[in-house]
Amino acid sequence: MFAQTTLITRWCLLLLLCIPVLAGLVGVVFPALGYFPAIGANTFSTAVFIALFSLDDVWQMIWLSLFTGLGSTLVAIAGAFFILATFYQSAMLGKIQGILSPFLVFPHAAAAIALLFAFSPSGLFARIAAYASDVSLPSSGGGVFPYDAFGISVLFALSLKELPFIILMALSVMSQPLMQKKLTGFAKVGTTLGYSPVACFFKLVVPAIFAQIKLPILAVLVFATSNVEIPLILGPNNPSTLAVAIMHWFNHIDLSMRLLASSAAVVQIAVSAVALLLFLGIECITKHIGKRSLVSGKRQFVDGAVQMFGVAIIAFYVILISAVVYIVLTYSVATQWPFPALFPDGLTLLHWETAVGALAAPLMNTVLLGVGVSTSSLILVLFTLESEQLRPASTYAAKAFTLSVFFPLLVPGVAFLYGLVWFQQLVLQSAVWFHTYIAHMVYVVPYVFLSMAVAYRKFDNRYAMVAQSMGKTPWQVFFQVKLPSMLYSIVVAWALGLAISFSQYLPTLLASGGTIPTVTTEAVASASGSSTRLTAVFVIIQAVLPLIGFVIAWCVPAIVVKTRGKSAPALKDKSRKGVLHGA
Amino acid sequence: MVLSLENIAIYRDKRLLLKVNARVEKGQVLTIMGPSGAGKSTLLQAIAGQLQSPFSLTGDIKINDVAITGIDAHLRKVGIMFQDALLFEHMTVGENIAFAMPASRKETKQARNNAINKLLAAVELEGVARRAVNTLSGGQQARVSLIRTLASQPQVVLLDEPFSKLDLALRSQIRSWTFDQLKSRGIPAVLVTHDKDDALAAGGEVIELLLC
Repeated sequence: MFAQTTLITRWCLLLLLCIPVLAGLVGVVFPALGYFPAIGANTFSTAVFIALFSLDDVWQMIWLSLFTGLGSTLVAIAGAFFILATFYQSAMLGKIQGILSPFLVFPHAAAAIALLFAFSPSGLFARIAAYASDVSLPSSGGGVFPYDAFGISVLFALSLKELPFIILMALSVMSQPLMQKKLTGFAKVGTTLGYSPVACFFKLVVPAIFAQIKLPILAVLVFATSNVEIPLILGPNNPSTLAVAIMHWFNHIDLSMRLLASSAAVVQIAVSAVALLLFLGIECITKHIGKRSLVSGKRQFVDGAVQMFGVAIIAFYVILISAVVYIVLTYSVATQWPFPALFPDGLTLLHWETAVGALAAPLMNTVLLGVGVSTSSLILVLFTLESEQLRPASTYAAKAFTLSVFFPLLVPGVAFLYGLVWFQQLVLQSAVWFHTYIAHMVYVVPYVFLSMAVAYRKFDNRYAMVAQSMGKTPWQVFFQVKLPSMLYSIVVAWALGLAISFSQYLPTLLASGGTIPTVTTEAVASASGSSTRLTAVFVIIQAVLPLIGFVIAWCVPAIVVKTRGKSAPALKDKSRKGVLHGA
Repeated sequence: MVLSLENIAIYRDKRLLLKVNARVEKGQVLTIMGPSGAGKSTLLQAIAGQLQSPFSLTGDIKINDVAITGIDAHLRKVGIMFQDALLFEHMTVGENIAFAMPASRKETKQARNNAINKLLAAVELEGVARRAVNTLSGGQQARVSLIRTLASQPQVVLLDEPFSKLDLALRSQIRSWTFDQLKSRGIPAVLVTHDKDDALAAGGEVIELLLC
């Protein structure tokens, strides 16, 4: 009975992830081929593609998407590896994880706005520079940041946002019990052979973990080539990246622009695919060169430079985070704040009062959606993982399953979401909440799955065997042994799900047709207009919301343990230090 | 109670891993020895009903001459102990034992607590019922693990190198506790070990598995 229930859940989860994406793809491919009955286009042709490629800027858009997406991913990987190589044996690692984690749950929109505050020609760093050099007017935007035509600022912002994700993925792989044992051994052998710690990392640790973090990295790459919020807020406008153009065309009042948008969405898929192929090519070449350096016997790996970069990047994050916190908080209570001044003329709570009034309904929507989405995806994921353990699939099927969990992350959202909306309008036009819920689930489930899968793999299955041998049914083993043992990981996964749901911009906007405003959609809308100070308040609320989730995640196990009146076994994980001790 | 393993053969991906034919009388201990990879722990999992792919089983496992081969793991009444105590950390010592005891509607809470204390007293651990399991020493945890297994009233007990993590002084003491308890309750047991002393102390038949 139990095994069947979990098996059914597993199929539900698969269908939930795949059907919306596939339906969405069909929904953009048809209009792209000229079939869009709503505006009387009933014949298939390639005319739309011809029209698209006859636009002047289309190749520049494609190039921008490719350049910012692939470039930022490569920069983020390099940065992440430099940091890990510098700190992987150090007790500092836990602190670094702490510094970088907020970036992970900080919504992309909020991150882009925050960077704008810090780096724009009238931003905090410009103010500090102006103080030093006695300038009284902000430069007129001749600099690189923001909106530069080459997309450098977009690349920069994307890599800042991706780097923590890659580090945390790598750490979760490195801390799996078996892997940790293996890597500790590798590092020990490497050290006794005279290899420096940095060389050990690149020559022994990276080859061992890369296969396991490759899929998440590919997902990051697809995301970076097709992201909308960051290029929308920081990127060039004429032309913009392809994803931003797609969004503008889809939202154009003239419905016939939808055909153009759909064909561009198909091209976007191709762009992301090309980025994937290029990445795999680069990986191949790197592997080949790496093999040669393995047998060269060199005991160093430009250690000094790597460690310098590692420390510098961390220092940069610390400075950036402090600057952002300062400027956002100050803006949110500032009256007048003329340019080179480091402090505003006066303080006021007016913006907060305005924002709280304006955000009451969006906040309610955000929380309702987030809690519903996160809770239900957690339940689906837990049953799915349990079914995997009860009936382990063949390695082939398991691989196929992992791939399908990543499926929504490997298809550009901007491409399939519009098609999905088209389908949803056909099926249940008025069920706006349901559509938004599904669109969120598609993005939340994969992350909750990733986060829970780590905990499940860490769980010592002999506990389940012992409980079974005492006559406990599989239901009892699941509810009374496994879930309580993994309580901490479960609430963390729940908080992560909340954070992902809070940060969704495009899925919310499209699936609800704009009828369910959330904090994120309001923040993006305000970034392109209205008051900087109001935007600052929105950013703060966006940053605090996911944190509340994590605070709950941190408190729940503590409270549960307290009511048991004992020490806190569930929190043991928290005090983890370096991943590889004593290497 | 008698455990019989009749023409047991375990396959890994259709290749024969091991063959066993044995009968364990009540209170006796059958010792399985052999090199790593010979399938010792796999045999125990087969008896417990927890064999997972790629392994498969032919032959009959019988308790009191009733075949249990087709029965679900949790209905077999086969207790299992590993080299780690594996006490559930989200429960107290007493709760661990209560969790193992068969459910009973007639029994009062007081009677259940008395039963728990009696079990604890049998291994010289009076008064620890309300403590968190991670406040116990390794030797104490091993003893709680033993009485937890007994509290579930198993018809057969499987021991998967249960003493290998204990230091020498503790090892012989815990070992004699375990064998005495099993003997006094007439429970047949299967012991997997690398240690010749374990086999000698068990005093029963010894089967040496070979790599094939």
